[in-house]
Amino acid sequence: MKKHINKIVLLAAIVMIPAMSFAQYCNHFHEKYCYPSENGMFKLNGQSKSALFSKGQTSELNILVYAKQDYRISVCLDENLGDQIKFKIYETKKVKVEKVIETKSMQDEMEACTNCNGSGETDNEECYDCEGAGEKATGNEKEVISKETKVVVEKQKQLLYDNSTDGYSNEIEFTVEISRRLTLEISVPGGGAGSSTKKKGKLTKSSDMGCVGILVEHMTTPITGFYGTGF
Amino acid sequence: MLKAKNVVMDKKIKLVASLVVALPLALLTSCGGENLVVEEAIEDVVEEVVPERNETYYQIPSPDEMFGFIKESGLGFNGELLNSVKNVASYSDPKMQALNFGIYSADLAYTAAFQEFNETTKYFGTVQKLADQIGITAAFDKSLIERATANLGNADSLVLITNTSYFAVVDYLEQNEQGGKLGIIASAGWLETVYVIVNSMDYTKDKDAVDRLADQKLALDNLLDYMAEYKDNTDVADVLNWFNELELVFANLSEPDTEKPDISFKKKEDGKMVLGGGSSISISEEQFNAIKDKVNEIRNNIVKTEL
Repeated sequence: MKKHINKIVLLAAIVMIPAMSFAQYCNHFHEKYCYPSENGMFKLNGQSKSALFSKGQTSELNILVYAKQDYRISVCLDENLGDQIKFKIYETKKVKVEKVIETKSMQDEMEACTNCNGSGETDNEECYDCEGAGEKATGNEKEVISKETKVVVEKQKQLLYDNSTDGYSNEIEFTVEISRRLTLEISVPGGGAGSSTKKKGKLTKSSDMGCVGILVEHMTTPITGFYGTGF
Repeated sequence: MLKAKNVVMDKKIKLVASLVVALPLALLTSCGGENLVVEEAIEDVVEEVVPERNETYYQIPSPDEMFGFIKESGLGFNGELLNSVKNVASYSDPKMQALNFGIYSADLAYTAAFQEFNETTKYFGTVQKLADQIGITAAFDKSLIERATANLGNADSLVLITNTSYFAVVDYLEQNEQGGKLGIIASAGWLETVYVIVNSMDYTKDKDAVDRLADQKLALDNLLDYMAEYKDNTDVADVLNWFNELELVFANLSEPDTEKPDISFKKKEDGKMVLGGGSSISISEEQFNAIKDKVNEIRNNIVKTEL
């Protein structure tokens, strides 16, 4: 029996190891497989990232880009994920928005003291000293909606770049004039629509999985021309 | 650097028969092969190695990038801003150890960026010591330590190794699904860079550094969004409270000017793409001082000795 258990543990280990090492293998994928810029001034940016993807998966990477810096962002992927990747860049920002918040509550329904002709008083059952428009409860309730304006912080995304309008280019180089928080959205085509739920008893085949790397490089924007030379 | 959700690996090793059937499948997956055997195996497999859908990752520029920038800006090194290595022995609480690991990691990057080799040696040793205490020694492999020791006199190599060690820790914590601990370390590391910058600059003279400080509002947003994923962890929740207070101070910085055209990519005449438009975040002297006070308060809470 002990021999059998040992074999089972060994088999389990053999099953687990390829899967675990596959995930770890993605760790520095961007450094190994994304082509860096030929411009030696660019430096590897620590916001670069690699991750395990399956076909049909979409993930986001939130990064910061600083003013007066040039950035080059390139995407690379395992062969088995295909040769085309969807790549979008959004600006993400938090904005203060005024929102009208409606609150529903139940209140007593009131009716006028019809026999009053002046400023009357009421204890909600009887009208007293009726010389005006007093009110009393009818015994029924009605729904009242109260509105309150509140300032809330919302996250907004604005599409800045879509590589499907740029021949599915897998790299972009740009100068940043004003610091921004960008969201890089990466989608690996395939996998079928609606395959976002995990089904028990189903193993995603490794041919449907692979690494995707996002290489971010940066350098200080070069100052061109005779600026600052005094001439 | 920061990953919101790690790849899920459900380890249900209950059905022995399934595993036996799965063996050929596993061997095939590692080769990337595909044939009929795969189809048969799918029926019985109970293990799942499926990447989470729609994962969101939040990246914070590493300390060395910030220190590289302040060096370029002409700000000098100020050793008095470092958390003394003598304090390391007094951090016994795991949360404080993780926080101070982040502080010392940033200090290490600071000393390396300014080629303060003696200090770098001390801080590298301190970071290793704390790594041992918080259980992440495995992140520092032997070759990394050997390379660091051999290159203590080489400025470029030292910055590279310091950076490598920082990301080795990040990778290690991500792989081991310790996102909460990573959030604590990264937040403290970020805070220390801001602390050094804000205490090194003169608001009236160092415009570039002032602008970079204002931009940290964006970095803080990324950090808070990441930490919010782990707010159920009590240590993360404590740290999150401090940083939420800091966000309130940063929130006072000017809002974007809605009259300016929206941000967009535009191609210049020379073919170069430019990300422009919109307005930048500006900061008044009063706001600068408020941020400085809050950063100093939180940082001092972290580094204060427990003895």
